[in-house]
Amino acid sequence: MTPDIDQTIAQILVDKFHIEADRIKPEAALEDLGLDSLALMEFVFAIEDAFQLRIPEDRLDPQQGGITLHYLAGVIREHLGSKPGPAGA
Amino acid sequence: MSSTAPLIGVAGLGLISPLGDTLDAFQSRILAGASAVTAWQLDLPGIDPVLLPLARCDFDVEAVRNPSRVPADRGTAMALNAAVSAWQASGLDMGGLDTERVGLYWGSGMAGAHSFDASCHTLYGEHKRLRPTTVLTTMPNAAVAEISLKLGLRGPSLTYACACASSAVAIGEAVRALRGGWIDVAVVGGHESMLSPAVLASWQAMRVLAPTGPEGHLAASACRPFSADRHGFAMGEGAAALVLETPAHAQARGVRHRLALSGYATNSDARHISQPDAGGQIRVMQAALRDAGLQAKDIGYVNAHGTATLAGDRAEGESLKAVFGDHGVAISSTKAVHGHLLGAGGAVELVVALQALQNECLPPTAHLSQPDPSFALDLVMGAARPAPGLRHVMSNSFAFGGTNAVLIASLA
Repeated sequence: MTPDIDQTIAQILVDKFHIEADRIKPEAALEDLGLDSLALMEFVFAIEDAFQLRIPEDRLDPQQGGITLHYLAGVIREHLGSKPGPAGA
Repeated sequence: MSSTAPLIGVAGLGLISPLGDTLDAFQSRILAGASAVTAWQLDLPGIDPVLLPLARCDFDVEAVRNPSRVPADRGTAMALNAAVSAWQASGLDMGGLDTERVGLYWGSGMAGAHSFDASCHTLYGEHKRLRPTTVLTTMPNAAVAEISLKLGLRGPSLTYACACASSAVAIGEAVRALRGGWIDVAVVGGHESMLSPAVLASWQAMRVLAPTGPEGHLAASACRPFSADRHGFAMGEGAAALVLETPAHAQARGVRHRLALSGYATNSDARHISQPDAGGQIRVMQAALRDAGLQAKDIGYVNAHGTATLAGDRAEGESLKAVFGDHGVAISSTKAVHGHLLGAGGAVELVVALQALQNECLPPTAHLSQPDPSFALDLVMGAARPAPGLRHVMSNSFAFGGTNAVLIASLA
């Protein structure tokens, strides 16, 4: 995982979803962190805002469980592509 | 109903108000006539800048976590806090209750307006997309959803929207459900937080808000109910909750409530959408008295609707005189200090009436020195008035749309 991406994801989970920092690990699934389908929608929304990108629904369907933070970071990295970098990072 | 209708006990109270978040702070400021109203400048493109009289709560919505995890509307967060406070004060434990028989009857006039206004600004002003939970934050029943999730209430979970009478109607309908045996316990009350630019601009356009002076220095005393020089009201925000219980349920757990609700009535003017109608008010007060099995002379205090509009106070002055006779009952309007809480008003003002009953002391109508000479009312003014032997009190709520609601509380 890219440290900046990693850090921004962790910050969102702590600040907006009140997840304890020590539970946030690359292999952790969002579902296991207690984010139900509704919270996942809000989480994806916050991630898209933070990185100023849009993730296609088929890559990160909030209705699906099992998405790990490692997978999420990969999707973000892929979509950032040639962009200068995450907002504020 | 008849005089044989059981008294419905008040097991707990809780509130978030411009006068404080504890019952003690609220009561002391009500009795002192200490105003929470300050001036706030409404300055938006397309309208003339104006200083409006507002009674805001010292309340941090960011500190409230909805049990749903959906972002909390400011009013919803106030509702949740008030309801939890009332529940804790009741001493009831959901673990020992049939939760299907615990109801939630709530009122709000413009629930969700605060968040909906902010959402519209996000979309139209900032040209940004809306959060996926916008509907769930702004829906009118968001408060009952969060309260029932938080407390685990599984009985009726209902939201009443009848403008200024919303929470009075909610409380009264819960009384009926408790009397009727449909439920044993009810969490009741209302909330309102709509001190946001578009909502305030809407109220300002209606010309019902009191002037605050050129620099806002007259804001604190801007709302003067029943005064000869009254010019409208101040907008307030907040929430109040009560826990109600049938006498049988209270008895079964070895509790006897000193404060009780004894009467309720609601009706509709069917006359005009915004003009109050003394006839409708007379009928609803008389119906509430019949419901409680009481006569007008039994009532020792009326917390009037008393909005301090010219037309509103004129109609209520006329209806109070018709029901109670000249100077027939002690009356005050506490909107002068906590503002007009719209949908929460009935619940907040019932708390005022219950505290008067509990402490045998009537709150004054603040900022009132020269009553409108056309009224023949016994207005409590200047200072709080001791009322030894007070047994029955009335709280009036008369709404835009024509809905009237009257609650009567009694010592059990």
